Amino acid sequence: MTAPANAAREDDLRFEAEALPYIDDVYRFALSLTRDAADADDVVQETFLRAYRSWHTFQPGSDARRWLFTITRNVFLRSRERERRHVDIEDGDLEALSSFAAATDQERDGSDRILSRIDLGPALQRALNELDEPFKSAVVLVDLEDQSYEAASEILGVPIGTVRSRLFRGRRILQEKLMTYARDAGFTTAQRGQRGSKDD
Amino acid sequence: MTECNRDIDCRSAVQKLWDYLDEELTPDRMDEVRRHLERCGDCLPHHEYGRVFLAALATARQTDARAPDALRRRVMDSLRAAGFNA
Repeated sequence: MTAPANAAREDDLRFEAEALPYIDDVYRFALSLTRDAADADDVVQETFLRAYRSWHTFQPGSDARRWLFTITRNVFLRSRERERRHVDIEDGDLEALSSFAAATDQERDGSDRILSRIDLGPALQRALNELDEPFKSAVVLVDLEDQSYEAASEILGVPIGTVRSRLFRGRRILQEKLMTYARDAGFTTAQRGQRGSKDD
Repeated sequence: MTECNRDIDCRSAVQKLWDYLDEELTPDRMDEVRRHLERCGDCLPHHEYGRVFLAALATARQTDARAPDALRRRVMDSLRAAGFNA
């Protein structure tokens, strides 16, 4: 075998040992983003193909899972480019703070107690399905995949402040959707009836 | 309403609450917020609300999701077509 062929073979063996073991993680991340098994399959296949073709850019010893998540997210975004709605709300601490202040007002209105009484599982799944980018990726990475702000920042290619802002905004949107779900389920009326009661 | 003996005020504590719940503050800041929450009856419900919300959100993770065998084959086929030879 020639020297270049040997090197290529070495690269492939490294790819097999360091990247392919993360196929379950990539699949789960793709599933969280797409919320559709067939779409997730497409994203995973394209992710590993791109990863293989750009394996020479991977820094040995760095976090392969994080690197693969970056590619996964880019593949997902490209696949959704046509249908992706442009979201004007963007970065900055002011945005983060104002969204949190709004959430705080909502809590004071009794929303926290309403949410504690409903089964959040199905409502959360639905709310996540409906959450738009760029908020969905931030929420999935930090809240579902347990990535740090720093890791999410690297995967998303944005500053940590932007991750924080998107995260707060995404959580706020999810909370609003859950409140809509609670109202539809009749919890708001029940809660209002208890305002000023011993629960307060 | 509970009287607060604050190291930081309520506004500052609430502003830092998500970072606190995500354990993204420095150790000193974590202590500041924790001390505040221990003493402040106004802010503690916000903390509980955030904690319950994030715990519920974490359960939405598809922990048992494994790449199906058909997908593994599909990935390997596409890699081999691209020259993968391990």
